[in-house]
Amino acid sequence: MDIKDIIAPFAVWKRAFEKPFTVRKPIDERPGAPRYRGFHINDADTCVGCGTCESICMNKAIDLVPVEGRSPSGGDSGLRPRVDYGRCCWCALCVDICPSGSLGMSNEYLWIDSDPEVFRYVPGVDPKPWDGAELGYRRAEGYRLLDMERVPMPELSHAEGVKSFLELVKGYSREQAEREADRCVACGVCVASCPAHMDIPGYINAVRGGDLETGLRLLYETNPFPEACGRICTRACESACAIGSGGDPVAIRWLKRYIADQVELADYGKSLPRAESATGRKVAVVGAGPGGLSAAYYLALLGHKVTVFEKDEAPGGMLRYGIPEYRLPYPALDKDVDYIRSLGVEIRHGATVGKDPALAKLREDFDAVYLSTGLPSAYRLDVPGDEHPRVLDGVAVLAAATRGEELGLGRRVAVVGGGNVAMDAARTALRRGCEVDIVYRRRQVDMPADPEEIREAKAEGARLIERAIPLRVEDSGDGGARFVWNEAEMVQKEPGKRPVPEPIPGAVVTERYDSIIAAIGQGPELSYITEADGVEVRRMKPVTDRTGRTSVPTVFAGGDLVNEKKDAISAIADGHRAARAIDRILGGRGD
Amino acid sequence: MRELADMLSGRYGAREWHDQRKDLSSVTVDASKLRDVLTWLRDEAGYAHLAFATAVDEIERKVFRLTYTVHNYGTAHGILVHCEIDRDRPVMESIHRLWGQAWTYQREMREWYGIDFPGSPRVDEEFVLEGWEGPPMMRRDFDSLAYSDATYAERPGRETRDPAAYMKEKLYPEADA
Amino acid sequence: MSRPKTPYVAPEERAVPDLDSGKYLVMWQGPNHPGITGNMSLRLVIEGDSVVDCETHVGYLHRGFEKLMERRLWMQNFPLVCRIAVPEPDFNEYCYAAALEELAGIEVPDKAVWLRTLSLEMIRLASFLMWIGGQAGAFGHGTIAQWSVTMRDYVLDLFEELSGGRIYHMYIIPGGVRADVPPGFLRHVLETMTVVEQNLKDIELVMFHNAVMKMRAVGLGYIPPDWVDRYGITGPNARAAGFKRDLRKDRGYLAYPRLSFEPVVGAESDAFERARLRLAEMFQGIDLIRQIVDFLPSEGPFRERLPNPLHWKIPAGETYVAAECTRGEYGFYVVSDGGDKPRRVAVRGPSYTHAVSVMERLVRGVNIADVAGLMVSLHTYPPEIER
Repeated sequence: MDIKDIIAPFAVWKRAFEKPFTVRKPIDERPGAPRYRGFHINDADTCVGCGTCESICMNKAIDLVPVEGRSPSGGDSGLRPRVDYGRCCWCALCVDICPSGSLGMSNEYLWIDSDPEVFRYVPGVDPKPWDGAELGYRRAEGYRLLDMERVPMPELSHAEGVKSFLELVKGYSREQAEREADRCVACGVCVASCPAHMDIPGYINAVRGGDLETGLRLLYETNPFPEACGRICTRACESACAIGSGGDPVAIRWLKRYIADQVELADYGKSLPRAESATGRKVAVVGAGPGGLSAAYYLALLGHKVTVFEKDEAPGGMLRYGIPEYRLPYPALDKDVDYIRSLGVEIRHGATVGKDPALAKLREDFDAVYLSTGLPSAYRLDVPGDEHPRVLDGVAVLAAATRGEELGLGRRVAVVGGGNVAMDAARTALRRGCEVDIVYRRRQVDMPADPEEIREAKAEGARLIERAIPLRVEDSGDGGARFVWNEAEMVQKEPGKRPVPEPIPGAVVTERYDSIIAAIGQGPELSYITEADGVEVRRMKPVTDRTGRTSVPTVFAGGDLVNEKKDAISAIADGHRAARAIDRILGGRGD
Repeated sequence: MRELADMLSGRYGAREWHDQRKDLSSVTVDASKLRDVLTWLRDEAGYAHLAFATAVDEIERKVFRLTYTVHNYGTAHGILVHCEIDRDRPVMESIHRLWGQAWTYQREMREWYGIDFPGSPRVDEEFVLEGWEGPPMMRRDFDSLAYSDATYAERPGRETRDPAAYMKEKLYPEADA
Repeated sequence: MSRPKTPYVAPEERAVPDLDSGKYLVMWQGPNHPGITGNMSLRLVIEGDSVVDCETHVGYLHRGFEKLMERRLWMQNFPLVCRIAVPEPDFNEYCYAAALEELAGIEVPDKAVWLRTLSLEMIRLASFLMWIGGQAGAFGHGTIAQWSVTMRDYVLDLFEELSGGRIYHMYIIPGGVRADVPPGFLRHVLETMTVVEQNLKDIELVMFHNAVMKMRAVGLGYIPPDWVDRYGITGPNARAAGFKRDLRKDRGYLAYPRLSFEPVVGAESDAFERARLRLAEMFQGIDLIRQIVDFLPSEGPFRERLPNPLHWKIPAGETYVAAECTRGEYGFYVVSDGGDKPRRVAVRGPSYTHAVSVMERLVRGVNIADVAGLMVSLHTYPPEIER
C-alpha cells in the first residue's frame, strides 16, 4: 500500500472554501439559452392554419382547431395548431417546417400546474406569459426544410417572344414537374379558393408519383379544360397556397398543364369515365365558351344528349377569341374541346340564338337549356369623341387577331384599361410591330390584370402611363386620333377604402395615336331573351339561384353572364354546378 | 475484395456480392451454408467480430431475411451476410457456439420475429417483452397502432380538423348538395 | 494487490445451481438500485457473499423504437432516434443521418462535418463524466459523483446553447446540422473545457490515487483478451484488454482523419484499468474538442437541401453505419425498400453484449458488494439493449 494513495485524496480539501457550483432556486433565475426549445409561440396573424406542423409531428401532438374570431378566408383555413404537451417532445420540427414562419418556441421551460388539462393550448391564441418572447428556438438563418423557391419555368425571352405568336411558356419537363410537385405540403388550403374546388393536392400528388392517369382523372372531375386552365387560369389557388405564405407559391397552374400536356388525347379514354347509358333526355347549351362546354361535358357524362349553339365559327369562346395564341395556342384548346366532343357533344356553329333558333324554340325542343353567352360587347370609353373610327374595341381586336385578319393598327397605339384584355391587346399590338402605350386611370398596383401579364407587357416594350383620366378623343386630321387625358393624383378619400384618382387641374396631356384600343370592360348581350321567355333579368343579368336556375325551371344560366369573377375557371365551375342541377330536374341524382 | 467474393461463391455458392462502401459489403448465402460461411469468415478470413445479427421481415416474399454482420479489424472491412428462411416455418441453425453473445440475438429474434433457433441457450425465455401475449411484435403484419388503439384509451378532448374539409364546411357546404 | 483474477469460465459452461439445496440465495439487483446503470436488473444466485450465477433481465425501458420507426417518415424518425441511448443521444442522430445520407447519395457540407464531430466529442465527454460519477459512487465515493455530474451539466449547458436542448439535442439532422454555432459559443466551449479539465485533475487525484479504489477495483472484472472477439467486446472494454481498436481511427468517419490523436490502450483489463483508460480518453476528448474549435470553418453552409420531408423517399438499399461511442461500437443498420418510411432499422448498442453475455460470465465469483462496481466498469446503458 502506497502511502500516497491514502494522503492524496485529502488534497482536494482545498476546494472546500471555493464558490460552490450549485445555484439557488428561486433566488437565482436561470433562463433558458437563447435557442432553448421551450413552450411554443405562434404569430396567429401570420399563421395560415395549413397544418403542416401537424403533418410533420411524429408524436401526433398537434391538432388543428377552430379558434374564436377567425374564420376561413382566402389562404387561411381559420384553424390554428393546438399543442398537447402530454405528447410533444420539443423536437421543433414543426418550427422548422412551418411555411409561413409563424411558429417558434420561447426559451421558457417552467410551467407548473396541478391540472393536467391545461397543458394543451393554442399558441398565440390562448394567452401565455411567454407570448412574444424574443428568445427561444427559431429556424436558423439559411435553414429550411421546405423549398421556398419555385422551379423556374422555361420561357422564351422577351426579345424573342415579341417577334412572334409562339407560346412563351414552354412547360415543365418531368424532372422539373416532379421537383415542383415535391414542394407541395398537401395541406389543401388552396381548394376553397378555386372556383371549381379542384382536388389540387390530389393531382399534385399524382404528378409527384408519376401517375398521370390518376392526375388526369382528378382534373376532369371538376374541370374539362385542363390544357386551357393549365395556361391561362387566374389561379386564385396560388394566391392561397400555404407555401406562398413564406416563399413562392407552388406552381399549381403549370403542374395542371404538365399533366394535360403529357397525356395524349388518344389515351384520355383510359383514365376518364364515360356515361354508362344514355338517358334519352336532351339539353341545349347556348355558347361554346368554357362555361357552356363544361356544362356540356358533365351533362354528357351523365348520359344526356347535348347540343351546343355557337354564333362563331370555332368553339372556345373567349379562350379562343379573347386570349392570344402566345398564351394559349389553339392546338391546346382544341385538345380540350375535342375530348368533350368525343363524348358525343354536338356543337352547331354559326347558330346565333335569338335569331336562329329562338330561345323559345330551344325551350320547346329540349328538356333544359343552359345559357352561357358571356360578355361579348365592349364598353365604350364614354368620353366625347369615342365614336371616332380609330377608337377600337379591344375584344374585337383580339378576335380579329385570332381569325388572322389584318388589324391595321398603325404605328402608335394606345390601349386604355388595366385588365387582362388590355394587356393581351397591348401585347398583340406589340407583336404586330406597334409602339404601345397602356393608359390607365390608377396606378400599376391597382390594375386588375395578372401582375405577371403587366410585368411581361412592360418587358416586351409597352409603356405604362398611370393616373391618366381620359377626357376626349379628337381627330388629328391625318388619319389618326388625338387622345386627351388629365393627369391625376391618388387621393385617400375614405379611410380603409382604396384611393381614387383625382384630376390635377391644368395637367392635360394630348398624344396622337394611329389607334386607340378601348379595353375597359365588357357587357352582356341579352337581346335573345324575350319577355315571352319569362326569364327574369335584373341589372343586365338573368336572376339565378345558387345552382344557376333562372326563374324558368328548365332554363339555367352561368359564366361571365352571371357571376362576378368573370374568369374561365368560374365559368367552368358554373357549368359543372348547372349540369348537376339540370340532371336533377331530368330525374338524375346530380352526381 | 473481389478475391473474397470469389472465394465465398466458389466454396459456398454465395451470391449477390455488393460493395456498399469501401469498408462494407453484403452477400447472400443459403441458410444451410450460413454457419459454415461464418465459421470460415471468422477463422480463415479474419472476420472475427460479430457486430450484431437481426432479421428483416420480407412479408411480400414470405421470407425472413437474416443479417449477420461480421467485421475484420485487420482490414477495417465489414460484411453483411444474408440468408433467407421460410416465413411460415421460421427455423434457423444456431451460431451460439461461434460467438458468446450470439444466443442473445437469437433469443431476441425468437421473441420479436418468432424465429426458432433449436439448441440456442435460453432461446425460449422472454427477452424484453415480459408478459407479452400478442404475436411476435416486429413482424410486419403486427399493426402496433391498431394494437395501441385497441388497448389504450385516447386522451379525451383531442380532435383535429382537416383544413380543406373545414374550409369546405364553412365556405361552400352546398357543393355536395 | 494480491487478489487473484476472476477465474476464467468457458462461455458455454454454465453451472446450474441447485436452488433447493438450501446453499444458495436468489437476489435481485435492480431494477431500482443505485448500483445499476439505468433500469435493468440482475438476478443473482449467491452462495455466502459471492455470486455463483447471474441472469441479466432487461425490458424495463423497452419502447419499441425499431417498430415505431417503421411507421414514421424518414424525417420523423430524426427526433425519435436520440431517445434510444439517453445519456449519449447524438450517436443515434449521427448514425441515422449518415445511413440515410449514404442511401440517398447526399454529400454533407464540410462545416456540418466539423459541427457533427464537435457534437459527438462533447457528448462523449458528457457521457464519460456521467459514467465516472457512477463508478465512483459504486465504490462509495459519492462526492466525486457530485462533482462529475456538475461538470456534465456544464457540457449540457453548451449543448443547450448550440442546439436548444440539454438532453435530447436533435442537432444532427439528415443533410447536415440544424444551425451554425451561436455567437460566443466557441469561447464558452474553451472556458468550459478549462473548468472540466481542472476538475478532472482533482478527480484523478482523489479517485485514482486512492487506496480504497485500488483495493476494490484492481483485479475486479478481468476480461481475458480472447473474450474480446468471442463476445464482440468493443470500445474501452476491448482497449483495456490491449486491443488498439477505435472506429474513429479504423473507419475514419467525419473529421477524425483530420484530427491528431492515438487510441488509448491498456493491458490489465480489470475495472481499474478500464476506469483509468476512460479517464485518459476524457483528457484526450478535451484535447480533441480544442482541436475541433481550432479547425472549425467559420464560413459555409451547414446543411444540404433535401427533398420535402413529407414526401421524401429513399432508394431501396441497406447499409450499416457505426461510430465509436464511449462504450464502443454504436451502429445503425438501415434498410429501405424505396418507400417514404424505413423498412427496418436495427440499432447495435455496445451494451447489448457487455451487459448481458459478458456481465453474466464476469460476475461469477464476485463478492456481492462489488457487483455494482463491476457493472459500472463495463459502462452499460440498458436502453440501447432493448431499443
